[in-house]
Amino acid sequence: MSFPLLSDPDSEIIKRFGILNTLTDPDDHPWYGIPFPGTYVIDADGIIIEKFFESSFMLRPSADQLLRAALGKKVDLAAPTQPRHVEEVTYTVNFDGTVLNAGVVRDLVVELRVPEGYHLYGNPVPEGMVATSVEVDEQVGLVVEAAQLPATAPYTLAGTGETLQVFDGDVEIRVPIAHMSRPLTTNDEGAATLTITGTVRWQSCDADACQLPQRETFTLHVPAARHNTPGHWTSEGSNFKEHFSKMLARQTGQT
Amino acid sequence: MTSALPDPSPFATKHASGMWEDKFGAIGPFKPGEGPRQDPLGDFPTGPAIGERLPDIVTPTHTGDTLDVHDDRGKRAAVIVFYRSAVW
Repeated sequence: MSFPLLSDPDSEIIKRFGILNTLTDPDDHPWYGIPFPGTYVIDADGIIIEKFFESSFMLRPSADQLLRAALGKKVDLAAPTQPRHVEEVTYTVNFDGTVLNAGVVRDLVVELRVPEGYHLYGNPVPEGMVATSVEVDEQVGLVVEAAQLPATAPYTLAGTGETLQVFDGDVEIRVPIAHMSRPLTTNDEGAATLTITGTVRWQSCDADACQLPQRETFTLHVPAARHNTPGHWTSEGSNFKEHFSKMLARQTGQT
Repeated sequence: MTSALPDPSPFATKHASGMWEDKFGAIGPFKPGEGPRQDPLGDFPTGPAIGERLPDIVTPTHTGDTLDVHDDRGKRAAVIVFYRSAVW
């Protein structure tokens, strides 16, 4: 093992961080003392530069998300859609990784390439205009987190002096997604696949005029895996049954 | 057990094994939404904020040594994971 496991038997560190799981009753469960699970990334000075907390305790951030946060590492995108050209904007939809294991959070990545002299609207958007957005369609068992957009830049209209919030250049929008096997299908080659559909919206303008708002739908087939993670409780080889037997024995005092 | 929460798992179904299956397809001995199988509904505490210094952690490790997270990481970046079970 290449990393230290830290011991916090009385949940002292957990309580000091303020992340004690308060849904677990101290009188009712041997699980009392667990944290809301999460991950902090710190820089060389010990400053927290990113953190990952999932409301579902079964989900974990992927190694790629941690590496990107810790090292600024740009990961290779595995299976991008064909670039599409809509008016002057080029866009692609990617999955950040080679496979989406059950219980692991990875990013869907939408890249909009905006040529020089043009910009896209961010929020707040002027009335009657369309802000840049990515919306992933819901499926039972698919976890979709809030889209992460880059920071906008102020842009002042020459005519009115009004200042707008815009994107320009290469705009990368990330939507963290996860599954716990249920939405997967099997493709013709027998491989587990997660099919994701959604909509990208934007409106581009140059200094003089705006194009019509764009609304593009996408379909992405993400290579996926059902049982490759011990986070899946039906996983063969997982020792969860033994674990739960012990924990239930503790709960009922039959140690 | 907290009972004031609305049922967060309308897809909880009894599995053929006798255990409970949640909306994600995960199967376990507790009913989703109850006991240790509860997820927070809405906001929940996530500890110190981005931009703050990570609070000190000085504690024994699995080898029995004491580790000081800030002093013993060789002035390098680090990832600190708080997990709730090491068995799955």
